[in-house]
Amino acid sequence: MMNPKAPVMSTPATIKGSTLGRRTFLRGIGTAAIGLPFLDAMAPALFASTAPEAPVRMAFFYLPNGMIMDAWNPSYDGKFGELPRTLKPLEAYKDDFIQLGNLTHNTGRALLDGAGDHGRCSGSYLTGVQVKKSVVEIKASVSFDQLVANQIGSKTRFASLELGMDDARQAGDCDSGYSCAYTNNLAWRGETQPLPPTLDPRVVFERLFGAGQPMTPQERARQAKNRRSILDFVTEDTHKLEGSLGPSDRRKLDEYLSSIRDVESRIQRTESDNRQIDPHMDKPYGIPMDFAEHFKMMSDMITIAFQADLTRIVTFMVTREGSLRAYRELGISDGHHPLTHHRNQAELIEKVRKINEYHTRQFAGFIEKMKSTKEGDRSLLDNSMIVYGAGLQDGNLHLHEDLPTLMFGRGGNYFKTGRRIVSRRETPMCNLFLTMMDRMGVHMEHFGDSNGHLTGLDLG
Amino acid sequence: MPQFGRGKPAAGAFFDSDFRTIDNVLAVGLLHGLQGKGDCTFAIVTMSRPNLAVAGYLDAVERYYRGPAGNFAQVPPIGLCTEGSPGETSPAYVEPFQRKKPDGTPVYQNEVKSVNQTGDPTLLIRNYLQAQYDQNCFFILSGPATNLAAALDFPGLKELLAAKAKYLVIAGGAFPSGPAEAHIKADIPAFKKLLAQWPTPIFFSGNEVGAALEFPGASLDRDTVPVDHPIADAYRANQTMPYNAQSWAMTAALYGARPKEGYFKLSGRGQVSVDGEGRTAFSPAEKGNHQYLILDPAQKEKIILAYVELAITKPVPRRFGKAAAADDQEQQPPPKTVPPPKK
Repeated sequence: MMNPKAPVMSTPATIKGSTLGRRTFLRGIGTAAIGLPFLDAMAPALFASTAPEAPVRMAFFYLPNGMIMDAWNPSYDGKFGELPRTLKPLEAYKDDFIQLGNLTHNTGRALLDGAGDHGRCSGSYLTGVQVKKSVVEIKASVSFDQLVANQIGSKTRFASLELGMDDARQAGDCDSGYSCAYTNNLAWRGETQPLPPTLDPRVVFERLFGAGQPMTPQERARQAKNRRSILDFVTEDTHKLEGSLGPSDRRKLDEYLSSIRDVESRIQRTESDNRQIDPHMDKPYGIPMDFAEHFKMMSDMITIAFQADLTRIVTFMVTREGSLRAYRELGISDGHHPLTHHRNQAELIEKVRKINEYHTRQFAGFIEKMKSTKEGDRSLLDNSMIVYGAGLQDGNLHLHEDLPTLMFGRGGNYFKTGRRIVSRRETPMCNLFLTMMDRMGVHMEHFGDSNGHLTGLDLG
Repeated sequence: MPQFGRGKPAAGAFFDSDFRTIDNVLAVGLLHGLQGKGDCTFAIVTMSRPNLAVAGYLDAVERYYRGPAGNFAQVPPIGLCTEGSPGETSPAYVEPFQRKKPDGTPVYQNEVKSVNQTGDPTLLIRNYLQAQYDQNCFFILSGPATNLAAALDFPGLKELLAAKAKYLVIAGGAFPSGPAEAHIKADIPAFKKLLAQWPTPIFFSGNEVGAALEFPGASLDRDTVPVDHPIADAYRANQTMPYNAQSWAMTAALYGARPKEGYFKLSGRGQVSVDGEGRTAFSPAEKGNHQYLILDPAQKEKIILAYVELAITKPVPRRFGKAAAADDQEQQPPPKTVPPPKK
């Protein structure tokens, strides 16, 4: 969500005295406006002790259709030892996350509304309420990410970002009488106002580094014709800034701009590939056919957005509840959702395990990037809370307790990571949200169906 | 949980107890037996003392009756109060786990190794109440009022109780008067709070009712009692057999699930109060929300028969979809026009 209060390119790329403003943008002709990562020049060493604390960011990566739990939960609590199969790709980062057990979304259950667990579980995931069963009259509640965005969103260019990879339809019946608005959105600005995810990496890129809005087709065509990078438009500002930076900052800036260029190149390559596959394809042309490439583009842009403090809040619907995607890259031609109703057939269960593991592998790439991005004397990951989770536990049985939940990052040196923490059964997922809100500087006593904060996560 | 698309299910039963006496275990079995007859839908068991061994046993009982998780439902956790003293652990809760099958594996599996495998009673009450139709569940209290009083403090729960619950049946007190009773003495402030704030009618089954109705231990020798049954095994381990057990909790469970069966007479309406020693008193009041059960000697045999037939039964499989419809078809009354028998 674009922050209406945030000035676009209002802060000039100038160095105020000897300190560079945190919200400095590299501006260029046309539509470019590139935020900067945290540089030493923004907090001179002499004043390091008074340098502002790096902001805490939070993101949600939502996975649909539950998990095969025998490959998700280890047989122990406490400090991580051997990780179960689905988490194996995260082995290198096992000191950087907490696995949370027994968190429950009671509002995702049928209660008295009958079938439709997929629609309900994604609709209630961040809103914490039982959504209204309807295809036409949707009703949920303000999601907790948006409550935070309302409080702190004015500090960044975008109050929040909503991303996805699967389906952004907002109308129609996506699950037993539940509107697609429930299965396809995580963030809700109001009871009847979901914030649809952006699926096209090109659109995300242009929002992040352009004027805040996607380019017009004419502008895009003009830029493509000249084969120019968005970085070309800010060359003057870049040179000016580089001249005033120390070696360390120059290297950091160079790496940062290279990462933007890398994403942009991959988007351009995708567009070119897509045009070759079908010049008339009825699909946003920037969306890669390859799942892993799509995921990488989106997650790289999340890293950049966090790094440049363009936003502190991201929701990412990796694929939507009830997703029928066939993972042919894994040799699986059945749809994901039908596979999860495996009726305990070993062959089908194994296919779902492979899909779960594949998702985790993609996510591990994102964590690697977040961890390797330095911010002051910590990593960007250290200053974040990244939840990787699902709104259903067992996709075959449609269970809403012990929801698969990993939280990466230390929320700014707060969470004690590297362990599995199991709460009492039926502990509301909303308790975790209250704790996360606290870390984001938003203090509430109650959210959704919470009965308190989730305790025992901190270093104390 | 409601039965999808099949109208209002039988009333939900919420059972809260300290499980200090064997009648509470029998009452759990009785509620499952009543569920098998379609008289209630057993929602949850909550416990008002922090005894993990007892919680483990109750979890095994729930798994025995409900079977493994499946078809969009999981065996609900046992609600366990985490404050106070765990108290004594009767052999009834331990010995059943020592029984082995011929292959050496335990007959019953204890899945509760830590408090994390139990749930907070208030949360469970809230969550499972939300799954009930309006005015379609009842509560049984057979122990200190600790958990139910705590539930009254949870934001919004009193209103939810008023909307969903029909009544509360308490196995406790003595009516019209009598000595202080252990359940009440254990937490007098909680009991007072319950009397003052509980938002539904309350029926009391006083000490005198359960004391006069004994579950016959000899009934465990009947052929219909399964060889492996956690309630029967607990009963045998509880005390040297043969013995009969007074049935305080069972009276409350039976009235709760079958209030119109005429098992008990009812006092007029009034108000129950409790003094500082835990003694109850009943004051008639036209608009009072309280009544107490009165033992009807003519019904004694019928009540004992219900105990024997329902407290220790085989699990009735949960029925969903086509299986449920087929079962319902079988249970339809015969058509009114029956063809004449062949001569």
